[in-house]
Amino acid sequence: MVAVARGNLASMSELYQRRHRNLFRFFFRLTGKQAASEDLVHEVFLRMIRYRHTYQTGDGFEPWMYRIARNAFADQVKKHRLETQSDDHEFESIDSGRPTAFDNLLKQQELALLHRALRELPEDKRELIILSRFQGLTYEQIGQIVGCETGTVKVRVFRAMKEMGGIYRDLAKERAS
Amino acid sequence: MMCGHAKELIAASWTGELDAAQETMLKQHLAGCEDCAAEMTQLSAMWDRLADLPAPEPSHALAVRWESTLESMVASGKLASGKLAVHGSGKRNSWKFSLASLWPERPVWQVSIAVACLAVGLIVGAGFRTGGKADKSEIAALREEVANTKEMVALSLMRQESASERLRGVDYSVRMPTMEPEVLSALLQAVSHDPNVNVRLAAIDALTKASGNPQVRQSMTQALGQQDSPMVQAALIDYLVDARDRGAVGTLRQLAGRPDLNPAVRQRADRAMQQLTEYK
Repeated sequence: MVAVARGNLASMSELYQRRHRNLFRFFFRLTGKQAASEDLVHEVFLRMIRYRHTYQTGDGFEPWMYRIARNAFADQVKKHRLETQSDDHEFESIDSGRPTAFDNLLKQQELALLHRALRELPEDKRELIILSRFQGLTYEQIGQIVGCETGTVKVRVFRAMKEMGGIYRDLAKERAS
Repeated sequence: MMCGHAKELIAASWTGELDAAQETMLKQHLAGCEDCAAEMTQLSAMWDRLADLPAPEPSHALAVRWESTLESMVASGKLASGKLAVHGSGKRNSWKFSLASLWPERPVWQVSIAVACLAVGLIVGAGFRTGGKADKSEIAALREEVANTKEMVALSLMRQESASERLRGVDYSVRMPTMEPEVLSALLQAVSHDPNVNVRLAAIDALTKASGNPQVRQSMTQALGQQDSPMVQAALIDYLVDARDRGAVGTLRQLAGRPDLNPAVRQRADRAMQQLTEYK
């Protein structure tokens, strides 16, 4: 990003290659929607170019990128009233007649239940689990992104996991009955 | 240690952010607190299990879209080729800001600049009316560039795993003013080999524009001999009749002779043979 901020366009392509997949997963786990997630990834990279002068090396790249990502997501929700609440069709089915590895894995019942429990968490808690568990960020980085102390992030992640555990148990009982 | 602090340490243990001293503290607490110990066991197992959730993948179209966006930014001058427009760090010195700073404060200069702009506009406008050849060629180049981008997107979409994406690709190809050989080839490939019936049907429709091309008609005739889906067979028969392709009669005869053929398709094939032999 330092090279991009200095004006190296080739580095922007490289940056895209390295980060777009991870960003897409962040958005997909938040929204459950392929097209919306891809639009958001595109928007984030455009914003990175537009706001590159706001990048400061001391803060680290990840917190900067995810702050942009969260803002883009918030704007999208406001603009299009993007539905992120879970429902029976939380993940778009892929009408190809050839199930993907993603579909096959979700068919395993326990994983599907876990996935549903994550989707049923309130958005702010789901986001914390996504950032800490899937995006590989440290609690300090997450604190920089969401704007709170590292210790507070740890407690919030713990509570989010606990709440997800409760949802998971309820869903398991529902399935058994 | 209080339970509240233990929760922080449990969360830190999940991401490997515990140092040795904190680990000892946590162990000591868990040894004496059944509730925290139970939560630690249960939630840590769930944390580990989350790693097994599949990782979704973006479509290839996303990368194509980004590349074309970058290219168009370079083409439109928003980005210099190879280099981004220069920006200072930490200051709001965008190009708009720089232009604003050039605007004079005195009204007399402001009016002078406005008059000068009007004069330049009139001269340039007159130039447009008399000699617009260069602009026309630029517009043509831009149109070509847009068409190339559309073609690239269509081809990329037609290679996707998702049938809905492939359908979008076929739809894109229909919207292109002319069909380039790569697009024709991709559509013919879809008619012959796409696993999804809807994509095959859409590709047949898309190729209606190219029915004047003998090679396309020949490929469609060959595809008819390979199809098993009655809907696709019927669509191909209609295509060949509309294209008045008399060369398809032999294939239609072979098809009609297949014992496993759907009766409605056989009837259509018989009628098609009759129609095609009647054409001069």
